[in-house]
Amino acid sequence: MLAILKAEDVSLVYESGLIFKKRHEALKGISLQLQPGKTVGLMGPSGSGKTTLGKILAGIERPTSGRIFFAGRELGTMNKSETTAFRKAVQMVFQDPEGSLNPKKSIEQSIAEVLAMLKIPSGRWKDVTGRMLEKVGLSEELLCRYPGQISGGQCQRVALGRVLLLQPQVIILDEPTSALDISVQAQILNLLKELQRDLGLAYLLISHQSNVIRFMAQETIVLEGGMISEQSSTYSHSSPGNKPQNIA
Amino acid sequence: MSAILADAAPILQIEDLSVSFDTAAGQVKAAENVSFVLHRGETLALVGETGCGKSVVASSIMQLLPGNAHIQGRAVYAGRDLLGLDEREMSRIRGSEIAIVFQNPSLALNPIIRVGDQVAEMLRVRKGAAAVEAMQKARDMLSGLGLQGEKKMRMYPFQFSGGMNQRVMIAASMILSPRIIIADEPSKGLDGALAKEVMAEMARIKNQSGASLLLITHDLNLARDISDRMAVMYCGEIVEIGRSEEIFNKPLHPYTAALLDCLPERGFQPIPGSSPSMINPPSGCKFLPRCPKGSERCNRMPGMATVEGMSTAFGSSESIGREVRCWLY
Amino acid sequence: MECCKKEGCGIECCNMEGRRTKRILMALCSAGSDLRAQKISLVGLLLFLSFVLMAVFSLQLAPYDPWIRFEPYLLPGGEHILGTNDLGNDILSELIYGTRVSLIVGFAAALLATITGTIVGLLAGYYRGMTDEILMGITDIFLMIPQIPLIIVIASFLRPSFWLVAILMGALWWTSTARVVRSKTLQVRENGFVQAARALGFSDFHIIFTDVLPNTIHVIAPKFLLSIASAMIAEASISFLGLGDPTMKSWGTMINFAFTRGGFINGYWWWYLTPGLCITLFVLCVVLMGFAWEEQEQEYRRLE
Repeated sequence: MLAILKAEDVSLVYESGLIFKKRHEALKGISLQLQPGKTVGLMGPSGSGKTTLGKILAGIERPTSGRIFFAGRELGTMNKSETTAFRKAVQMVFQDPEGSLNPKKSIEQSIAEVLAMLKIPSGRWKDVTGRMLEKVGLSEELLCRYPGQISGGQCQRVALGRVLLLQPQVIILDEPTSALDISVQAQILNLLKELQRDLGLAYLLISHQSNVIRFMAQETIVLEGGMISEQSSTYSHSSPGNKPQNIA
Repeated sequence: MSAILADAAPILQIEDLSVSFDTAAGQVKAAENVSFVLHRGETLALVGETGCGKSVVASSIMQLLPGNAHIQGRAVYAGRDLLGLDEREMSRIRGSEIAIVFQNPSLALNPIIRVGDQVAEMLRVRKGAAAVEAMQKARDMLSGLGLQGEKKMRMYPFQFSGGMNQRVMIAASMILSPRIIIADEPSKGLDGALAKEVMAEMARIKNQSGASLLLITHDLNLARDISDRMAVMYCGEIVEIGRSEEIFNKPLHPYTAALLDCLPERGFQPIPGSSPSMINPPSGCKFLPRCPKGSERCNRMPGMATVEGMSTAFGSSESIGREVRCWLY
Repeated sequence: MECCKKEGCGIECCNMEGRRTKRILMALCSAGSDLRAQKISLVGLLLFLSFVLMAVFSLQLAPYDPWIRFEPYLLPGGEHILGTNDLGNDILSELIYGTRVSLIVGFAAALLATITGTIVGLLAGYYRGMTDEILMGITDIFLMIPQIPLIIVIASFLRPSFWLVAILMGALWWTSTARVVRSKTLQVRENGFVQAARALGFSDFHIIFTDVLPNTIHVIAPKFLLSIASAMIAEASISFLGLGDPTMKSWGTMINFAFTRGGFINGYWWWYLTPGLCITLFVLCVVLMGFAWEEQEQEYRRLE
């Protein structure tokens, strides 16, 4: 299958200091591929550059060298409309769920601003929001609350829902469940799997927990000191669990 | 796991502890009718998810809750109700007889005092030990926890990693040989292997001094490895208490069973729904909306039922029941 | 908010938890901890409101037109509660009308300073790099200028008017707000939701004004309030030095006239004590409000 997002020999070097420059090689020669409907797991000890790699693939940070290809086109050579399409198609969900939402904006406002940015006519907002909430398993009661008043799991669902509004093709998940309780973690992971099945999303799952990676990913990459030390395929479990029916 | 079998007398008895907070949104019932017994030399784990009230229970025992908390019930230690003591008495007990280790070690340590001094200070101030003697004891304590050498003693907390600071906190709390240690999420922020090491060391020191450990954690596997008995909390109530190993092998309460199924080892099977509001909790069993075995009678709050023959009492071979809060038993 | 009209959305949801203003009022009026501090801040708020009312309703409140001349050198009492000055103007009326001028100058200067400072701080903190260097360089240059002497010099050369004073103060005082806002922006910028917003593709402008700015308001507001106080004192000082606008009556000009026309020497306390007291009280109430705002923000954050 054709890879939707590909990294070729990506490296990132941090330089600091004016006269006596200190070089720190955060990433060295990373190459990987993400395919629709499949998950690649990224593991490694903290500080090994996993989040940085995720940000580079999402287009938030730029590598010092190497090439990123999206749907066959190289990032540096894209024109404006292609770049916009890339930005929408590759999204990132961050680790701290409450931190991803502005604490001063109600959930409704946080969602509305995304809808406004997507230039969806305001008449359709109610409808679109309702469908999105249903997809991530949240009730409309949450809309008038603030991030500080809802649980971490619900925050993570809102963050995920906002990302889904952009109809992405790739989602980079940076430790999506490490700040969550066990039962919520199970719910979110199953939700992610369901979404992948229904929407054909490609995931890059960054996690330090090997059991999470084994549950979700078909391929595992281990980063150490900025370099790939291991690349293997995992046998993904098919979970015997229930579908997450979320009432509240 | 503790291997002390000698004396199984209870050292701390919590009876019907209820805590509620006044907030702008209403009264939050953080804990309701929590009752359990901690025996001498045992490790009891209070297990549950965020918001179930386990940290609140620990803080309330030590009278460390903020002003807007209302506490009812009794916490009997050495024949006295801790909740009724005044601040002066409480501050005598805190640290020397009951020690509490908090979650964020880097925040709990004084950044401008050297690590060795902070640990030794406990002995100097509380027990009036001589400076040299205190430093020696501190040195021993820290080496036992893996922080060896004079150089480490003279460093400041900011030079240590989170895990090392956690060990310093543990040393500072255990140096006075308290009879009860309350550890609130001691392994949070530590990597798997390091957490195991630190907990093993804690268990070793605890066994040596014969102290009891009340462990508060959301990590079920840690609870199983370290504790003798486990109390599972949901929405401010204890729903099951018994021997840890046995709860894992045969959970009785539907919530415990569902929670164990969420574990990675069992395939991340989710529990449908989410926990109820703590401001307006449902009357009757709080787990009913999500329980696969719920029925009509669950609309009334069940009491703790003792299921015979499921557990052995701590420190002896007599069999006592497992306690479950469910109409099924 | 619309969601309140839908059924199934619990009343507690929107009414209590959603409304921030309600939370502020509840925090101010509720019997929580720090009751005394809240009472003090309530006093500050009331004082402030009474000054504002005095300024807005000067026409109705003042017993006479301050420009009309009555018998001069009258002692306080009788028809003229605070007496009259050497020109025969009723002092109480002067005081009430003076509120307008002093308040306007204070607000205008503070507003100009705060807006400029906020914009500079936000841009410098968000974009960092070259933008930051340039903006902070400009800030440093402005910081080097001695403010009151410059105002005095310019006021001496140009036609004195209180608008000029206000603009000048605004143009020089934005620097400290800029620094404070910049450091807060640097902090807020690293938050997860700003990164998430960038990932979602929002424009920088949108992020700065809807994500960063609301989270820096609690730093800007106290500075704004304190700027009002400083501006008012500066205006009083300048008027006292005779560089203010002699055609407008402000508290500062009242004190100036009291001084130059022999009020101090002759001990006509009703000439200078009352405007001085007004200035002091106003500054005090503004400071109390700033204090209350900070306290409320702390409580609010603790609740969360």
